[in-house]
Amino acid sequence: MSEDRPFWRDPRVVIARRDIRSLSREKTIVLALLIQLFVAGFSSFLVVGLTSLYDPGSVAAGEVEMAVTGDAREELEAAAAEQDGTSVTAFESEAAAQRAFDQRRVDAILRGEYVPSARGPGEQIQVTAVVPEGSIRSTLIVVEVRRVLSALERQERLERTPYLDQPPVPLPDTVSASQYFGFTYTILIPLLLFLPPFISGSVAVDTVTEELERGTMELLRVAPVSLLDIIDGKALGMVLLAPAQALLWLGLLSTNGIAVSNPAAILLFITAVTVVVVTLGVVLGITLQNRRPAQLLFSVLTLVLFGGAVLLPEHPATTVAKLAVDSPTLLTYGHVGGAVVLAVAGYAVARVYMGRIAAESL
Amino acid sequence: MQLDKLLRVAKWEVTKNAGGVDKRTILVMALSLVAMGAVAAIAVSGGTGAGMDNGIYRIGVDESSPYYGVAADDPTFDIREPDPAAIERRQQELLYRGTQLQSVPQTAKERAALTELRDSTARYNDRTLARDDNQTAAFPVSVTLVYEQQSGSSQLDPRGGDSSDGSGSSDGGSGTSDSSDSSAGGSGDGSDTDTAGGSGDGGTAGGSGANLGAIGARLTGDVQGGTPSDISPPFPFESLVLAFLYIVPMNFVIQAYGSSMLSERLNRRGELLLVTPASRGDIIGGKTLPYLAGAVGVAALITAALRFGNIAPAGSYVAVLAVVPLVVLFLSATFCGAMFARSFKELTFVTVTITVTLTSYAFVPAIFTDVTPIALISPLTLVVLDLTGQPVGLSSFVFSTAPPLLTGLVLFGLGAGLYREEDMFTQRPIPLKVLDALAGGINSRRSALKMSIVLLPLVIVAELAAIAFLFVLDSVSLNVFGTNQSLGIVLVLGVIVVIEELAKSLHVYAGYEHARYERTLRSALGIGALSGLGFFIGEKGLLIARLSDLESLPIGEAALQGATLPAGLPLWVAGLLFLLPLALHTVTAAISSVGASRGRRAYAAALTVAIVVHFAYNFTVVSTLV
Repeated sequence: MSEDRPFWRDPRVVIARRDIRSLSREKTIVLALLIQLFVAGFSSFLVVGLTSLYDPGSVAAGEVEMAVTGDAREELEAAAAEQDGTSVTAFESEAAAQRAFDQRRVDAILRGEYVPSARGPGEQIQVTAVVPEGSIRSTLIVVEVRRVLSALERQERLERTPYLDQPPVPLPDTVSASQYFGFTYTILIPLLLFLPPFISGSVAVDTVTEELERGTMELLRVAPVSLLDIIDGKALGMVLLAPAQALLWLGLLSTNGIAVSNPAAILLFITAVTVVVVTLGVVLGITLQNRRPAQLLFSVLTLVLFGGAVLLPEHPATTVAKLAVDSPTLLTYGHVGGAVVLAVAGYAVARVYMGRIAAESL
Repeated sequence: MQLDKLLRVAKWEVTKNAGGVDKRTILVMALSLVAMGAVAAIAVSGGTGAGMDNGIYRIGVDESSPYYGVAADDPTFDIREPDPAAIERRQQELLYRGTQLQSVPQTAKERAALTELRDSTARYNDRTLARDDNQTAAFPVSVTLVYEQQSGSSQLDPRGGDSSDGSGSSDGGSGTSDSSDSSAGGSGDGSDTDTAGGSGDGGTAGGSGANLGAIGARLTGDVQGGTPSDISPPFPFESLVLAFLYIVPMNFVIQAYGSSMLSERLNRRGELLLVTPASRGDIIGGKTLPYLAGAVGVAALITAALRFGNIAPAGSYVAVLAVVPLVVLFLSATFCGAMFARSFKELTFVTVTITVTLTSYAFVPAIFTDVTPIALISPLTLVVLDLTGQPVGLSSFVFSTAPPLLTGLVLFGLGAGLYREEDMFTQRPIPLKVLDALAGGINSRRSALKMSIVLLPLVIVAELAAIAFLFVLDSVSLNVFGTNQSLGIVLVLGVIVVIEELAKSLHVYAGYEHARYERTLRSALGIGALSGLGFFIGEKGLLIARLSDLESLPIGEAALQGATLPAGLPLWVAGLLFLLPLALHTVTAAISSVGASRGRRAYAAALTVAIVVHFAYNFTVVSTLV
């Protein structure tokens, strides 16, 4: 390579530009962005929808009416009084409660009886909870029933503390908190950020195998560039795409009021991961020269890599989550550094390997 | 189509793959699959809390506080030295001295941390108390949860009365290990009671198999007993995870299939096969057969493994049969994608789109398996039902599998329209390729009628998927806006109108673009009317049979309106109501057809008008009749 060329005339940069241009000409990159938006929207929609089914506190779902009967009904009433989403009616007779349930005046029946304990000496409260079957509301009702009964359990434990080896730890107070906080940082953000590297790697397989299968690699090689330059350029183009998309997501998230901390470290980490994945894709493409096996192997190997990362002290998804939520530890930064080292070393090794392959077979 | 030719193509497809360089690939693949299994086994058996949320909250607490043990047991928390200054610097979220919270949670993260600590404390108490000597005092409450039908007419909840719809599949019952049976209000549905509590969390010994066994045990019961924290809502999470096993391999299959199909189009390679005496159907069928067999074979293997591995002992051939339409749908969509795509890169994006869309189509309705007949929209529900040992009726099987199967066949038909020399080797943007595919089936004016009928399975699948998605939204919006129940229904109406109008007019537009029709007003009106008529015939014939199960739900009713008649009306009203939809479909199709005859912009404008007219009609009918 001559030194007096400006960097944008460098053959590697030219090839990278050419690949990215062909992507934007096909407009498929838009499709890729839409898919990721869909995945994000879909998963949050699903979780928000499902959590709303579960949690009456998150939306005003209307109160759950419960009938309480049996000789422990006062205790049940006291327990239900603590819960916002529940109101109870006491019934003297079981038949009356059953009638109210059948007429849908109540959503559930709680029948509490003192019985000799099956677990040891003393008495325990045996509660039979009857909930409606086959209704979308049953999920909500079951959750409410569980809340009331957990409160009852806490009360009873408190009364029986003298008989326990050590008292139970008191529960911290409730505060209003976003239900989706944990989901946003531990699932949604890692999902959004790891999808671009995967797609980049997959497209890297395509761009290499396509040149080989169409026979256009020959044409590229008559140009005064080495095969390694071509590979560098193709890898460069694909590597640049992922952090650009990641940056886009981070911007979108922050406009939606989700603050993402440490964006620089996150981008560095994502870029390193992309380099690793794209290297894998390019090596597979050059080695197998055929899209079908290369793509297949690429997806399987990426899955294995991502799953196998469980064996690391910290899963890469957790690394991203901890950076984003601003709880990084030394270990987190260690992982970022490790990823960068792996990316650089991996690509250097892959270059040597591909240089040898190219000399032999291409 | 001749069987021997088809089989020969299939044989080529297989042998070309296994020979030569690919042995190495297969070896690496096998090794990676083993590695994947090993990783999964480690993750399951080790279970050392390699969760995604490890250490996202930092709590300042020392060993004198009872919360030290709580935080130490929950990997979500990272324990730090108590330091008020760190709270100020936002480097710790919570600060405890003894049992007293010293910090005031202000940020979203601090409040989320406190909520998490509350849940974690409850779990910690349950764990420590399980070791207590006095178990009566430790667990003073024992619970038996019984699911029972509410008989009597629905007053409070319009969705409560789904049980009378006759599909019979969403009712629980017939659990394998359930014992006593108490009849509930004469509705005929027994409610099973199972007092053998704690089936889910038994600390069974022995490696990863035992863990999965616990999942299997949990699969069978919809009635639980135990302590209050043992109760779980009716959400078939474990069976959904198992059902996901069936979808994952399909993505690998379609990737290979798509590559194989697209590489026929590179460098005119497919020409060699096209000039052989084998017909188009033979070639496509032969090239598809190995992948179809492979995917179904994998499904059968998974079912067998689940069955004999005692994870889901009830799994049977029904699960495998229910997967077949999904396989066909995945393959057909990929086939179309490979026929449309210009390059490998484009195919990758198309494949990802197909994967995401179809996976959500299969997955979302199945979430409601225990809840409503809406779940039957996805064949995956049949898999879940079969794995959990619940009976699957023939009508629900047909209801669930016929639309995706027919859609798959239609997609194969559309793609096959492009499997010929003049289309295969030309590169055009995807939208134009779609028009090419549609125009492939048009010969004369009467084709407009035919195409409207042919596209109907696509319309039905799209509409069913829309219902399933908006069903979630309906229940949510119902909650959010209090009394405003109609938002979900309005959205369903809107989506369905758009889908129907597109299905009626897109092929007309394709016909005009390919100069199959005359561009005169008279012909445009005639073609539009024919298209509307075809749609009407198809809708009457199919929709009534297909969707009758959904009628018991308000949202299903809204989607269906016009297709069925309210009972007890005078004959002339009934006749009018029957003919009104016909008039509607012909009029709107004619509007968009006139637009289509005058180019792209006019088509878009006319389509919008048609959609508005259709929506106005539907909305009026829904608000007056329903």
